[in-house]
Amino acid sequence: MTRNAMGGASGPMVDPKLLEILVCPITKTALVYRREMEELWSKASGLAFPVRDGIPIMLEDQARALTPEEQESLN
Amino acid sequence: MNEDRVNFGYDFVEPDEKTRRVGNIFRTVADRYDVMNDVMSFGLHRIFKRIAIETTSLRPGSKVLDVAGGTGDLCGLLADVVGHEGQVILADINESMTNIGRDKLIDSGYAWIQTTVADAEKLPFSDCYFDAITIAFGLRNMTNKDCALSECHRILKPGGILVILEFSKTTHPLLKRAYRFYQQSWPIAGQLIAGDSASYRYLIESIDVHPNQSELNCIITDAGFPEVRYENLLGGLVAIHRAEK
Repeated sequence: MTRNAMGGASGPMVDPKLLEILVCPITKTALVYRREMEELWSKASGLAFPVRDGIPIMLEDQARALTPEEQESLN
Repeated sequence: MNEDRVNFGYDFVEPDEKTRRVGNIFRTVADRYDVMNDVMSFGLHRIFKRIAIETTSLRPGSKVLDVAGGTGDLCGLLADVVGHEGQVILADINESMTNIGRDKLIDSGYAWIQTTVADAEKLPFSDCYFDAITIAFGLRNMTNKDCALSECHRILKPGGILVILEFSKTTHPLLKRAYRFYQQSWPIAGQLIAGDSASYRYLIESIDVHPNQSELNCIITDAGFPEVRYENLLGGLVAIHRAEK
């Protein structure tokens, strides 16, 4: 994956048909795709799952914890 | 012995340790995985995979998930059956394997197949979605098989089909002896082709400690599938289990 001068992601995007059925592997609840960060956010588990080269990495040990501000932004 | 420990070949290890060790093996063998399969099975794995796909009862337009899909062999075959109007998803816990699988599928004209890195024991999919799920030569390597099978049950539609293709047990004494003899060549082939004999020693051990046909039937039933049946290939050295939700 490459990043442009503004720091925005320019990797391939996750297939929309896949996004429709992906849920958080821990809580089985909906995810929010943050394209600019190449991440899938789960409000219920407070985790951000990385997307690498258009492939969602849905593993707990690869996810990072959302900050309180990021959590707040999901409301 | 600690009751929580699980088999890693002939060793008993903590569950996390098994997950870590299996992860290391597949990271190591990923780029030689396909050629090793062809060499060690004389190409037979391709025929087994075709038979497994026939067992899924899939039709054009069906939605199917290949768990532990690795380098994407099954997904390509599944895509030929369900077509563009259907949906095929490749899921594997090992990113080295999915990267190779995804590139291979794109090169073979299957760019529409979707790929995700996921743990079979914690699948990231909605309930009751798939018409079929396949697991080919993957269940043996999973740490908590019961969790993985329950997860498959959760995401299958009612009436959905789970097909498991896996090494199994033969009851023919002569075949058993010939197979054991033949297996001794695997670590040597592994060393020569992939520069790695340890992974292929694990392969032999993991086949040996894997449940037999009827034991696996029980494990699948316990995961919530009322109807399970199996078919032996090569006298039981390999078996296909088919379960309906």
